[in-house]
Formats: sequence, C-alpha cells, structure tokens
Amino acid sequence: MIKTSGLTFQYDERDMVFNFPDISLGPSENLLILGKSGIGKTTFLHVLAGLLTPLEGKVEIEGISIHSLSNRKMDRFRGQNIGLVFQKNHAIQSLNVFENLQARLFFANKAISNTIISDLLEQLGIIDCRSKKVRELSEGQLQRLGIAMSVIHRPQLILADEPTSSLDDDNCEAVMQLLIDQATINNANLIVITHDGRIQPLFQNSLTL
Amino acid sequence: MNVWSISIRNFRHKPLYTFLSILILSVSIALLLAIQQMEASFKQQLENNLGNIDMVVGAKGSPLQLVLSSVLHIDNPTGNISFEEAQKLSKNPLVKMAVPISYGDNYKGYRIVGTTNNFSILYQATLEQGRTMEKPMEVVLGAAVAERLDLNIGDTFLSSHGLAEKNDHDHEEPLTVVGIYKPTHKILDRLIVTDLNTIWDVHHHEAAPNDNHEKEITSLLVTFRSPMGFLTLPRNINSNTTMQAALPKYELERLYQFTGVGVITVTWIAYIILIISCITIFISLYRMVRDRAFDLALMRTYGANVRQLVKMVAYEGLLIVGIAFIVGILLSQIGVRFIFEMIMDQYKQSVPLLLNYKEIAQTGGLSLLMVSLAIGLAIFPIIKMNISKILSHEK
Repeated sequence: MIKTSGLTFQYDERDMVFNFPDISLGPSENLLILGKSGIGKTTFLHVLAGLLTPLEGKVEIEGISIHSLSNRKMDRFRGQNIGLVFQKNHAIQSLNVFENLQARLFFANKAISNTIISDLLEQLGIIDCRSKKVRELSEGQLQRLGIAMSVIHRPQLILADEPTSSLDDDNCEAVMQLLIDQATINNANLIVITHDGRIQPLFQNSLTL
Repeated sequence: MNVWSISIRNFRHKPLYTFLSILILSVSIALLLAIQQMEASFKQQLENNLGNIDMVVGAKGSPLQLVLSSVLHIDNPTGNISFEEAQKLSKNPLVKMAVPISYGDNYKGYRIVGTTNNFSILYQATLEQGRTMEKPMEVVLGAAVAERLDLNIGDTFLSSHGLAEKNDHDHEEPLTVVGIYKPTHKILDRLIVTDLNTIWDVHHHEAAPNDNHEKEITSLLVTFRSPMGFLTLPRNINSNTTMQAALPKYELERLYQFTGVGVITVTWIAYIILIISCITIFISLYRMVRDRAFDLALMRTYGANVRQLVKMVAYEGLLIVGIAFIVGILLSQIGVRFIFEMIMDQYKQSVPLLLNYKEIAQTGGLSLLMVSLAIGLAIFPIIKMNISKILSHEK
C-alpha cells in the first residue's frame, strides 16, 4: 500500500519545481505512469523510493512516512520493502547471477535461502544462467535478472524505471508479464514509469505526467 | 554471502589491476626491508668482528687504517712497533689481556697472523678439530679458510710474502695445519693463525741473521679490565710513546658517518617508491570506486548502508596490502640472500642473516598507514555518493 500527498521536488533553488500527482494504491494494485522524456518521471520514482527528498509533501508506504526516517533507517527500509528495476545495469558486475541474489538478500538483512533463489530463477527461466557473470547475459536475460533482484526479498513495493525500453517486442511483453506476475505472487504494489506505449494494455490503472 | 566475500570477488574481478597494485607495493616493501636488513647485518657484522678488542696499539699513522688492518684485516698495516715496548704496556693494571699480532704473509690471499693462542679468546673461538699451536711453523685455520682451500689436519703449504695473493715470492719453510676453528661468523673465519715466532723465523732467515735484531710486531690488541681504560690509556700512549692507540668502536662510528650517506640515499629512494605505490593504489581504488559507482549505488538500493560499502572497499585495499607485504618479505629475503651469497664469495667470510622483526613491523606499519590514507581518500566519493544522480545517468 502506497499513498502520496502534495509531492513537489526541486533539484536546485534556481531550477524549476516539479509538481507530482497524488497517488494511492490499495493492496496488490498496479500503476503505469506515462510521460515524455525530461518531464520528471525518474525524479518522481526516486522520490517514491526515498532516494530523493521532496520539497513538500509525503510518501507513506505501509503507513510509514518514509522521508521522516533517518538515513540509516531509510537504507534499511528501502532494502527490505522496496524493489527497484532499471532499464540497464541490473546487478553487481563482479558477482555471478546466483551470488547477486545472495548479496541482495544479505544487504536486505534477510535469511539467504538457496532454494528460494533457485525457485525464482526457475520461474523467470534463467536458472541455466545461475553461474554466469552479469556481462555474459543477453538483454532479455539481464532484464529477467533485474526482476529477480527486485522481488527476491519479497518487497511491498516494486518500482520499475523504463524496464522495457531496450527490449524487442517479444521480450518486452514476456518481461512485463513476469514482472506483473511476480508482483501478484508477492502481494506487492507495482509502479512502472515509461514512455513505452507497448505495455499500456497490461495495466488497468495509468496516469500521464 | 557477506561484505568480505563481495570484496574478495571484486578483488578477483579485475586481475590485472589487482596484480599491478600488488606488484608495485610489494617491490617497494621488499626494497625497504632489504635495505634495512643489509644495513643492520653489516653493522652487526662489523661490530662482531671487533670481538673483545677495546683498543688497538700500533705504529703511528692513521687510526682508521690501524683499525682496518689490525682488527678488520682489510687494509695494510701502518708499520711495526717494538715487541718489548708492547710487552711493557701489557703489564699495565688497566689491561686485562693484550694479544700481539704480526703480519707479513698470506697463503692464496688469506692472511697469516702471527700471534699467541690468546688470539682465539678475543673471538670466543673453539677448535672444531686438531689442537692449538705448540711450536713455530704450526698453523690453526679459520673455518672459511679450511673449507675454501680444502685443507685438513696434517696438510702443509708454503706461505707467500705480502698480504695480497700473488705467486712471486714463496717462503721455503712449509707450514703445517694442526687445528681448525669452528665457524665464528667473525673475522677469524678467514684468517690463518700461527705463532709469533713463525713470522719472525721466516723473515729472519731471509734478512741477514742478526742476534741483536729487535723483535717487532704489527700491533697489540687490548682488552680493558674496566671502562677506566678508555679514559686514560689511549691518551697516555699517544702522547708518551712512539706508538699510537686507536679505539675500534670509535673509528667504526666515524666510518659509518661516511658510508651512511649512501644508505640514507637508497632508503629515501625506497620511501619515495613506497609513496608512489600508495598513490598507485589510491588511483586504482579511486578508479574502482568511480567505475563501480553504479554497482555501489545499486547496493545502496539493496539496503547496504555507507558503512558496509566503505568496509567493502577498505577490505579490498587491505587485502592488497596484506598480500603485497607477504610477497615483499619473501622478495626481500630472496634478494638479500642472493646478495649475501655474492658477498660471501667476494670477502671469503660468512655473514649471519638477521631478520629484524622490529624493522619488518615498522615497514609494515608504515605501508599500512600509507595505504589506509589512500583508502580513506578513495572511499570519500562513497560517503558523498548521490544515489539518485548515479542511477539516473545509467542511460
């Protein structure tokens, strides 16, 4: 469950002020946020993830106002309750696929279960890549790994930033479907920001910035 | 999976970088250690060679030359002194022991020292085999001489005139080996010891025989009964006799002051290399932090806090220092051993290898301090990291 109210953001005193719409998602609800490049989509996502501090307004996740947490508590809260999916760069370069998921659980301070990791890789169809380094994966495999990294710790909220823009049509739909499925399995809210119109049909709720 | 195991994987991720960092640091550590060790060993060796000799009395001339020739046996003597005058000095109550020595001959480059059986007491030497000399023309060999010339008890040889190896002027009377000393790691190892009378006899036969010929020796090696000796005897001898007295310890200190400049220069070069290697480590860690900015930002989104990331990078740096330090110690030991082998061949004497733990600890501490500084500077960007900015520049 996530609820925002009156969020505004400004990078620098001389910069323009971003005004973000209020959003409110119930259990397991998904949201697609569309918008052109440069309109502040990523900024909005980073405010929601607690990576940026808003000028005004607040973000409540599971009833906790995240920007009132201390830095250290914020790091922990983010690690345990939020999963982030990016366009590229999905995992740590020096670790292999399996080790990445172990590291993800380690940093989230959760028990490291190899069975759970294997099951998830199986569901995402990349179990064969378990011992591969990140740079040895294809785009489609990488994005699946990105999904795995964002859900392995059973988050409350999954935030995806342009997850499909570097994928071809086939991979695009498959990856989005996997992401939505994983959000459902985990009873998590999924918020996707994109300018990629291909995935709009998969969402009931959407808004345009 | 923990911070440490991620550090190890990072460490192995870029093997060339890692290898170069370790190489340059270990070479500079090895250089520092080797210099310190060699300096310590040589000092120790020189002081060792003094044995129990507190003062040396010889003909007037350069006191340093007197010490070099009569104590370290590496220079020509300053001249001769009267045996009778020397014996008077031996009876001084401040003198515990006075050992006369006389030179003039060598065998295959090894000096033959005419002296008394007390000579071995100066070096606390004991016999490995055979016995001490009982009459002229008998010799006892230092360990290195016996080994290198392959001489055994009962062997005989002809000595040559002079102190350096040359084959022109052999004496006719053969010398007989009656004993061999145990290795002392002191100058005695490369000396051939014989009775004073041997030297006198050999040279008397050659010079016109003259019964009134006054007996002469090269110098007198003196051990004091008390430190009072240092204060009064040398001044007394220098002003009241035709002989001169030199204090080996004092002369060696003067020698260090000359040779020390070279050691200091090389030491500074080693320190500069150490600084350069720390800068290299700083650059490679800093680049690593910059190159991996996205990875580090990702870890922050996984819930890692700043402390964990700092620890991760610091472990990597420490791993490099740790390995470099061990490799450095090994390299320095191999290098020093190699150099010592060469020196032993050249100087015909074995030098004890000293492993000075205090200096190893000092060098280790210093490199750790320098690398910690490098790590501290390199991780600064982590503390200042703006996760949002790094993540939004991924495209």
